[in-house]
Amino acid sequence: MIRYYLLIMGIFLAFGLIPKSHRLMNALAAGNGLLHLVVSWVALFMLDLPVRLGESLYMDHLNLYVELITALGFTAAAFYARGYTDSLMEEGELDPKNLKTFYLAFNLLLITATVALFSDNLALLWIFAELTTVCAAMLVAILSARENIDAALKYVFIVSGSMLFAFLGLIFLFTLSEQALGEGTLNWTELSVHVSEFSPALLLASFTSVFIGFGAKAGVAPFHTWLPDAYARAPSVSAILSGLMQNLGIYGIIRMYALLRESSAAPHASSILLAAGVFSIALASFSMFQQRNLKRLIAFSSVEHMGLLLIGIGIGTRLALFWTLFYMLVHVLIKETLLFSAGVLHRQYRSNMRENMWNVFKLQPRAAWSLILGSIAIVGMPPFPLFPAKFFILLESAAISPYLTLAVLLMLILAAASFANFLFKAFSKVTVEEENEKDRHMASAHVETGRAELKTPTGKADYDEIRLPNQYIVRSGMRVPAVFMLALALSLGIYFPDSLRDLLDAIILELGYV
Amino acid sequence: MIDPLFLEGIIKILFVFVLISAGLIISTRNLSSILTSYTIQSFLLAAVSFLLYLIDGKSQLLLLAGLTLGSKVILIPYFISRIEEKIRIGRDIHFTYLEPTTSLMLSIGLIILSYSSLSKIFEGLPLSKLFFFGAVIGLSLTLMGMLVVFSRKRVITKALGYLSMENGVLMFGLFVTELPFIIEVLIVIDLIILVILTTILAVGMDSSIEEYREKVRKLQIWTGGEFR
Repeated sequence: MIRYYLLIMGIFLAFGLIPKSHRLMNALAAGNGLLHLVVSWVALFMLDLPVRLGESLYMDHLNLYVELITALGFTAAAFYARGYTDSLMEEGELDPKNLKTFYLAFNLLLITATVALFSDNLALLWIFAELTTVCAAMLVAILSARENIDAALKYVFIVSGSMLFAFLGLIFLFTLSEQALGEGTLNWTELSVHVSEFSPALLLASFTSVFIGFGAKAGVAPFHTWLPDAYARAPSVSAILSGLMQNLGIYGIIRMYALLRESSAAPHASSILLAAGVFSIALASFSMFQQRNLKRLIAFSSVEHMGLLLIGIGIGTRLALFWTLFYMLVHVLIKETLLFSAGVLHRQYRSNMRENMWNVFKLQPRAAWSLILGSIAIVGMPPFPLFPAKFFILLESAAISPYLTLAVLLMLILAAASFANFLFKAFSKVTVEEENEKDRHMASAHVETGRAELKTPTGKADYDEIRLPNQYIVRSGMRVPAVFMLALALSLGIYFPDSLRDLLDAIILELGYV
Repeated sequence: MIDPLFLEGIIKILFVFVLISAGLIISTRNLSSILTSYTIQSFLLAAVSFLLYLIDGKSQLLLLAGLTLGSKVILIPYFISRIEEKIRIGRDIHFTYLEPTTSLMLSIGLIILSYSSLSKIFEGLPLSKLFFFGAVIGLSLTLMGMLVVFSRKRVITKALGYLSMENGVLMFGLFVTELPFIIEVLIVIDLIILVILTTILAVGMDSSIEEYREKVRKLQIWTGGEFR
């Protein structure tokens, strides 16, 4: 089946090379995302899951769920990409000749990720996960500026190097199955049946190696170093990096953990996950605190959330896993909102740095507001769905150690404070024109009370050099995805659909959590 | 028929040469010598799997030897040497974090580490001494390749470090278990794609942007050949 899928998608990609107009290329990409969205939606409702199609295609609730998140994030990014790449080309930052490569890599990313998710065979998962790395690196490098190439190379070396360790883990697993079954296999389904016969030491070694690989993919500390650079340098693509790549990493870890959950190696694996999770959160929240680069701030926030997801998996209870899965979805929704808005601000100020942002509310009021709302959502404030997710994961973590909960909570507060700090400092600056306006208002107010002469425009000289930049006209379609994702997140926070609950319950049941 | 014990002896000698080649990749400053060391290392790997074929007689090992010879001894080194000519840099003298001497000392530690950890992990497995030793060499090679990726500054050298890591993984797989041949083929394809990508980007890192664009156009990767 995977062969047919690849064949169809290959034809689609070849077809995608023909059009010359940007509009058509973009429509094809968005259509690709929508197609995956619809097909996985239909499969979720029509098929009797879990189902095996052909030799290596395997569908269950978990990979369909992750695929739905992936396709949703991808489609939103595709809609956003049109206006964004247009303005990149206008500025000469993106060579129009590279546009085709951009869309090729963009579509290929979704296709390779889909194959990785749906393959029953671990080796196929590994190889296609590797290929997603290559495609994503191409997307980062597409702007052909030195820093972009640097970021892309860092990304390739760190992630692919770590994935080689994951391959060592696969070799361990293969050996284990060879011993237990007489013939080696790398199929999830077969491995999970026989896992009780495997030697725990070797199983733990294989878990650790696979965790290194997929942890690097998810951006878990200490393998996260590629992430801030890639986020800061990549064009709007960094939104799919969070929606697609990081979830793929977490998906691999969830599967692997579910595999060895029944064996006696599970407590050790849990402690590895918890330690990596706490380390990620600590490192991210401390790096966020004095962060002046908006995209880096968002990137480190991703590291923090991956840490929390690891804790959620590592706790190993049903409830924790339920909210971890929910968290994966909401994180993508909100992270993409943030990145899309940050992209608009980057177009406006040509910089991600806090000190270059002036008069945000006057120039880009909507981007500013979606950034503020997104930040409120990402730190886990109540109307937004990250609140219950964080709450229940932390609640469950108290069963392991209350100190763990306390430490994580404190670091989450620090992360929230960093967002507040950044937004407050970046959004409260105004230029001389606005200052004058304010003074005029004040003066007129004072005239009425008869004390006008006391107030003269002060500090005018300091602001003289900074002139208000021209307003960047946000292209049609660039706002829609951000608003849509945020609205979806908000509605999930207010109303938790029963069908989603059933889906998450089914995933947990299939993974063998009883 | 050659005596298997004699072949095993030769394999053990080759192990030593594999480690030496890894050490050379860590410490050599001349780019073309690093490439030569890598080519020799891959050749040694092909030779090892050929010798294993002579002992075991499994045709898969012969195929693997052929695949390694074709891709890693001929194709990839040829491609990298073309790139090296293009960037016109002969030497890589910059090291970050670790100087070569320290790296070499560290890699001795890594070999001991992989020996001790593997002897614990493989306690219950019926591996013969030669195969266990091969696994240790494979793991050490992977870790030493990682050192190269860490400590070298030039992208080309980093790519060679990554390739040497991959050689280690393949060697590990060769001795621990028999992976299906199709997996090996897929890995090599993945490797070739990665090498092409990184080396082309490497051209960009070692020149200014304008020059880089010019060079990339000459390679006709982004533009698909329509622009000269």
